[in-house]
Amino acid sequence: MDNAISFEMLTEEEKYKHFIERIEAKSKIEADDWMPEEYRKTLIKLISMHGISEIMGALPEKEWVPKAPSLKRKLGIMAKVQDEMGHGQLLLRVAEDLMKPYGKNRENIMQDLFTGELKFHNVFHMEAPTWADAGLIGWLVDGAAIITQTNMLDASYGPYARALKRICAEEVFHAQHGESIIMALAEGTAEQRAMVQDSLNRWWEALLMFFGPGDSSTTGTSKQDITIKYHIRTKTNEQLRQDFFTKYIPRVLSLGLKLPDESMRFDDESGKWLYRQPDWSRFKEIIKNKGPKSESRLRLRKISYETNEWVREALSSRSSGM
Amino acid sequence: MAGEGFYQEYEVFSRRSDTSPMQYQFSLLAPNAELALVMAQENFLRRESASDIWVVKRSNIRKMTLDEKESLQRLDNKEYRNTKGYGYLKKKWRQYEQGMLDEKEIMSWGGKQSDENPHS
Repeated sequence: MDNAISFEMLTEEEKYKHFIERIEAKSKIEADDWMPEEYRKTLIKLISMHGISEIMGALPEKEWVPKAPSLKRKLGIMAKVQDEMGHGQLLLRVAEDLMKPYGKNRENIMQDLFTGELKFHNVFHMEAPTWADAGLIGWLVDGAAIITQTNMLDASYGPYARALKRICAEEVFHAQHGESIIMALAEGTAEQRAMVQDSLNRWWEALLMFFGPGDSSTTGTSKQDITIKYHIRTKTNEQLRQDFFTKYIPRVLSLGLKLPDESMRFDDESGKWLYRQPDWSRFKEIIKNKGPKSESRLRLRKISYETNEWVREALSSRSSGM
Repeated sequence: MAGEGFYQEYEVFSRRSDTSPMQYQFSLLAPNAELALVMAQENFLRRESASDIWVVKRSNIRKMTLDEKESLQRLDNKEYRNTKGYGYLKKKWRQYEQGMLDEKEIMSWGGKQSDENPHS
């Protein structure tokens, strides 16, 4: 067959054209396939950030494992923390395969995290001082994550799409685990209800920031156009934020909670939620590891990495196979 | 075998029950096959049931190139290989007042003792 023997002989331009035809025809790109440099680099940045955020995201929740109010809650939150680490493992594998041509591996991902080269999600730089925060993270932070991740379930890069399919299925459990905590508190004493409201106030800005700035004018750069061009995602940051509002604002209100932004309303004319923008300069600071918990969580990660170094040593090159 | 570092690539497969096919799960990094098995359970089988797990070192897998994969495209002319090509028999058997022994019927037999024998 003509095209069966000729792919390697195509020019770069023809390979690019073939690649674009494949993603437009919804066929999945695999790790060993030819891909444009820009596609590879965009995926590496997106997926390594996603993967490391899952791992850093387990840290605010794990603080609540020893303090969970009942055995059932403890088991639930332990399972969730374990899932987050599992998601990190899946996603780092996807990122590592993409980095291979550059001679990079997991060691580099960890080092990049410690130097600040590799950023993690803004929400995981924040404090979780009460049990309501543990619930709110599951309900609304994971809710926001479900919105962005389901948007990429059909991503053109096969390994990422497959990882997301597994991840989203487990996120459903996370969201319900969070809802269950919030529901119990919202139906509880006045003090418990106030705790949920405090938590919502505390997380509001971080939740708005979760989806990223509307366009590059706020932070200088934005990858959203590139990810849409290559069929990695379909919706813009702002569309995702609007989707989140539409799904969650009615639920927030139904529990008797007040929106921390009193100006917020749905505008029938434009069909959009109007809301007060978060402080995007603060967003930039937070993701530069200058958020309230950035340093201490990175330190925790680093200590665990260094403390376990002897295990990696013992099981690697100097050990003979079992 | 001397180790080749802590981060070796393994591909993981598992079978949900004894009669299910081996299914691809995902890849993971582990220093050896024994730890790969432990990691496989931790990473992919926290909820799902499994009756068997295989881990295979990725370097032992011969994958297809893009060209080879494209050569897998089948022509749509395999009716003679499938029951689909013999679907007209259903109508025929009806003329003889008999039901068709189709795949669904035959696969349901499964060595069970019949509840009753119509000829007894």
